[in-house]
Amino acid sequence: MRYPGKSVIDQSHGLQRFMLLLGVGLIAFFVVLAIFAPWLAPYDFDQVRGDDGTLFGTQRPPSADHWFGTTVGGTDVLSRVVYGARTAMEVILLAVAISSLIGVPLGLVSGYLGGWLDKVLVLVMDALYSFPSLLLAIVVSIVVSGGSSGALGGIASAAISITVIFIPQYYRVIRNATVSVKTEPYVDAARVAGVRTPRILFRHILANVAQTLPVIATLNASEAILTLAALGFLGFGIEPSAAAEWGYDLNKAMPDATNDIWWTGLFPGLAIVLVVLGVTLLGESLNDITNPLLRTRAAGNEGELEVELAEDLTPAPEVDAPQEQAASTESGPPRRTAVLSLSHLRVSFGTDAGRVVAVDGVEFDVEPGEVLAIVGESGSGKSVTSRAVLGLLPSTASVEGSAILRTPDDPERELIGMSPAELRPIRGDEISMIFQEPSTALDPVRTVGWQIVEAVRAHRNVSKSEARERAIELLDLVGLPDPATRVDYYPHQLSGGQKQRVVIAIAIACDPDVIIADEPTTALDVTVQAAILELLLDLRERLGTAIVLITHNMGVVADIADRVVVMYRGAVVEQAPVERLFAAPAHPYTRALLESVPHLGRPKVTESRPAPVTDAPVVLDLDDIVVEFPGGWGEPSFRAVDHVSLQVHRGEVLGLVGESGSGKSTLGRTAVGLQQPTEGTVRIDGERISGLDDARLRPFRSRFGFVFQDPAASLNPRLSILDCIAEPLRVHTDLPDRRIRDKVTDLLDAVELPRDFAERFPHELSGGQRQRISLARALALDPDLLIADEPTSALDVSVQARVLELFVELQQRLQFACLFITHDLAVVDALANRVAVMQRGRLVELGSRDEVLRHPREEYTRSLIAAVPVPDPVEQRRRRAARGDLLSGV
Amino acid sequence: MTTDVLVAADSPAAEPPQRRGGLSPLARYLLIRLALIVPMLWVLVTLVFFLMRVIGDPITAAQGGRLTAEQIAERKAEAGLDRPILTQYVEYLGDIVRGDFGRTLTDNREVTDILLVNGAATLELSFWALLVAFGLGIPLGRVAARHRDRWPDVVLRLFAIVAYAAPVFFVGLLLKLATAPFGWPTAGRASTATELTLAKVDPQTNIMIVDAILWGEPRYVVDVLQHAVLPAVALGLLTGGVFLRLVRVNLLQTLRADYVTAARAKGVPERKVVSKHAFRNALVPVVTVMGMQVAMLLAGAVLTETTFEWKGIGYELAQYLIRRDFLAVQGIVTVIAFIVCVASFVIDAVVALVDPRVRF
Repeated sequence: MRYPGKSVIDQSHGLQRFMLLLGVGLIAFFVVLAIFAPWLAPYDFDQVRGDDGTLFGTQRPPSADHWFGTTVGGTDVLSRVVYGARTAMEVILLAVAISSLIGVPLGLVSGYLGGWLDKVLVLVMDALYSFPSLLLAIVVSIVVSGGSSGALGGIASAAISITVIFIPQYYRVIRNATVSVKTEPYVDAARVAGVRTPRILFRHILANVAQTLPVIATLNASEAILTLAALGFLGFGIEPSAAAEWGYDLNKAMPDATNDIWWTGLFPGLAIVLVVLGVTLLGESLNDITNPLLRTRAAGNEGELEVELAEDLTPAPEVDAPQEQAASTESGPPRRTAVLSLSHLRVSFGTDAGRVVAVDGVEFDVEPGEVLAIVGESGSGKSVTSRAVLGLLPSTASVEGSAILRTPDDPERELIGMSPAELRPIRGDEISMIFQEPSTALDPVRTVGWQIVEAVRAHRNVSKSEARERAIELLDLVGLPDPATRVDYYPHQLSGGQKQRVVIAIAIACDPDVIIADEPTTALDVTVQAAILELLLDLRERLGTAIVLITHNMGVVADIADRVVVMYRGAVVEQAPVERLFAAPAHPYTRALLESVPHLGRPKVTESRPAPVTDAPVVLDLDDIVVEFPGGWGEPSFRAVDHVSLQVHRGEVLGLVGESGSGKSTLGRTAVGLQQPTEGTVRIDGERISGLDDARLRPFRSRFGFVFQDPAASLNPRLSILDCIAEPLRVHTDLPDRRIRDKVTDLLDAVELPRDFAERFPHELSGGQRQRISLARALALDPDLLIADEPTSALDVSVQARVLELFVELQQRLQFACLFITHDLAVVDALANRVAVMQRGRLVELGSRDEVLRHPREEYTRSLIAAVPVPDPVEQRRRRAARGDLLSGV
Repeated sequence: MTTDVLVAADSPAAEPPQRRGGLSPLARYLLIRLALIVPMLWVLVTLVFFLMRVIGDPITAAQGGRLTAEQIAERKAEAGLDRPILTQYVEYLGDIVRGDFGRTLTDNREVTDILLVNGAATLELSFWALLVAFGLGIPLGRVAARHRDRWPDVVLRLFAIVAYAAPVFFVGLLLKLATAPFGWPTAGRASTATELTLAKVDPQTNIMIVDAILWGEPRYVVDVLQHAVLPAVALGLLTGGVFLRLVRVNLLQTLRADYVTAARAKGVPERKVVSKHAFRNALVPVVTVMGMQVAMLLAGAVLTETTFEWKGIGYELAQYLIRRDFLAVQGIVTVIAFIVCVASFVIDAVVALVDPRVRF
């Protein structure tokens, strides 16, 4: 995105473009007036006599000589309006320039460094900001020009008054943006690479924050004009003799208004309105166009769909599969009548790039009481399909084909093409939905009871107290402890698993015939996932509801599905009963998918994995580490890591596993000095690095690399791939540019990416490719230690498998020590020599991979392993029976 | 996907809100917020005090040229302005703590008296203006959001921008031009006769409409209301335009939230989805920004009051500024700062009540 210019106009469309162009046009008009005022204006702004020496006369109505009439002071209104444009432009340019020059650096430094300076500045700026800006401007203008000194007059004094009130605005915006950008993984990545603070500020933070500047500047400019006019109106600011000013003229015209003299005030007023209108339109359009959240509806929509669509538009899954093979459907036992039958379903979306087909020709049946799994990777169209059935797609979607619902009361209804009013009684009553992210699917400002009651009363004619009884009953049914109390809780008072139970309670509130569960456990920890899946199966038993389970997790499929539909790029490629699908996948894509799923207890990436190397030198030594985060006002501090000691040897991969909140990422960040330990020592190659400040830590930075979880966020979107990978090299070596380029090329080769990727930008790459780039950057300086924090959890399984293979190969070749942080035990099983298990900040178990994963000593490790569903229905059934109630009470 | 960098923020969520020291989290939050007003006010008072001293001493500025040098020196000593500036500063802080904002130089009024009499007028104006602003901004914002990118939205957005782009005094001028020929009152809070009558009301609230109702004669009430229309519309349009845009943008965002889709999936009628889920959630940021609008409203009040000769605190401020009565200015500005701080505290408290998540 480059600012002024054609690209911005190109990105706009329709009405937005109209508003943008109108704004630009108005501004251009006034800029021309300002520049050419002496030639355009018929008279001088304070001229009261014509060339022949006669007075113009006061308050004369518009005439051929004076198109806009004359003022009470006997000057020409038109000329004053034209010269007023000049005054306005000068003041605005000065004010915006000076205030941004002061406010932006202040905000950057204060936001990035934080601490004492930041606190004081925030207090002062907030005080200034909360104060009525006009009053402040008046006070400042008196100080600057009035008072007893009167050193500065005219334009400069007005500009300074306005500048003072805008500094806090720039400061606030830039500081807040800096605070949020500085926690972005790419800034952490730069810090890990040892980049110095000023370079981080300008290269990484300012570049990304700056994109909001034109928007603020234009919006501020409009406020500046209004403030200038207000100052003039009240008789402060510019001396009337120094320049023409619209606000001053309006003040003088005010008594005329009640005397039917309209021309003296109307024209300067209109000038103000038009300039502010132009500037505001420009600012708003820029904001609309560049802020994806506010983009018009032609762009994407709700989270998951947006992701799916985005992935659809980029060349996605890296699996070669013949697309046109007929979907193999089972010809098994005679079918019962399906509850829901989809056929020829086709969904397309209108986007900036034209119509995109997300789903095409999808066909499957859902039978009463069965669990039908729809599997596929991102972009396969599985969520789009399920939402199309209930008419929950954004209005840009168009849906064709058929979805027939058959219920006992009503033999056959076509859902596609129904109006929202016709669909409403079906939603929630006959077909209900469970969402992926329970924390966003519940309304944060309503109690959970309220939300269940709402669902009940939408379909059943019951009183509020009856519905509340039902809500408590439902919460009890989904296993929420103490439902009579928790019914009055707000969602934020519940844990993630509990929230998902509430979402399920809502879904079953009206005994639906079909529940569509869209990735119901993806956002949850494995133990919670196991409990939620248990609950779903239990409900199916008790209520006989058919469940359509949308998931990407083959373990979950093997765990609870009866039948499986495999989707790939918007089409169904295979459907089969679960045992058959896993035992004999028919379609090449299914085979590839099953191949790439890591399987706990059956590692295949590392057949040749050597035994743990304990005699090799210790690279990372964490000794009795404690990390505490200070609590808020009056809160006790939070201990994220609690007395953890572990060592990583050269050539070894130590897998660090744990659920969310276990402190594993914090420990990883502590190991590389991104986080200082509260107690304990961190040593790299025997040298202590904990307690060192940034400058003294810098020499050590070249010894470790860090790969972050989210490949999209850990690369600075404004740097080319070459610059991303080269950054550590530029910081730590004096290599000439040519050598750096060679080195980057080598690294691209090493991570098996084409060399011409060096010229691209991160957003042009797929997730897997970006994660390879992160790996290349982490390895650029040939580090002794690599910390990988969930490097593959944001990737699809087929992509994950390839990245892991590459990772293992590089690790064995380069023999760096590696702390591999993940929540996925199967991944650890695939590549770690030793495994460490963390729970609530404490190290629970540490040992060789086989010891920990095959013969765990600790109860917690055992429950963790038991909770992981393995991608094999037969084995998983056995495990489910064996684990018994190990997981109850999660 | 686990990012336990932020565990500190998300893990206690599993527990119900804890009470510590007998205070609910909400009460503790509000107390902290209340405590923050003090340093904020202190910064503002300090700033105003020293800015005023930069200009020079108030007596020279106000009376210079009219009095001889000795007279000025005498007056300065009388007012204690010849002492070291820090002594004056500490003393001034002490006075403020005791609620004494000083006296004006030009007409020897108590600044607190200005606050009571003229502040009430500003309060009344703000009330009328907010009435117009809410009445316009919120329903129209909902309409615009519902018809996103269709013509009602386009017209309303342009209206909102124009409402913002037009200075209050220009709108005032246009309103005067439009209504003066029909004899509609265009200045003051009431006609002179009404004002004189209502001054006799006891107890005097200084809020004209209340006084008129207390007096009990309908024609005075009508007269007061007639006078309020133009200023209320001029100031209300400005704020209403801002509200309209805020409601629209926030509603558009909450309309795409998951819980709105979830509510639709429950089979809740669309009208209820919008009002019970989307709108309620959209109000949270709207109320927050309204807190900042208090400052804007006060600044707007200065202009509106000057335009319509509405003798509020802003009008008085402008008059004292023109007369260069800096003690009065200093006092009034401090009072305004105080109002702004308290208002933003009240707004934060309202937000905390609207949004159960605000708790620290």
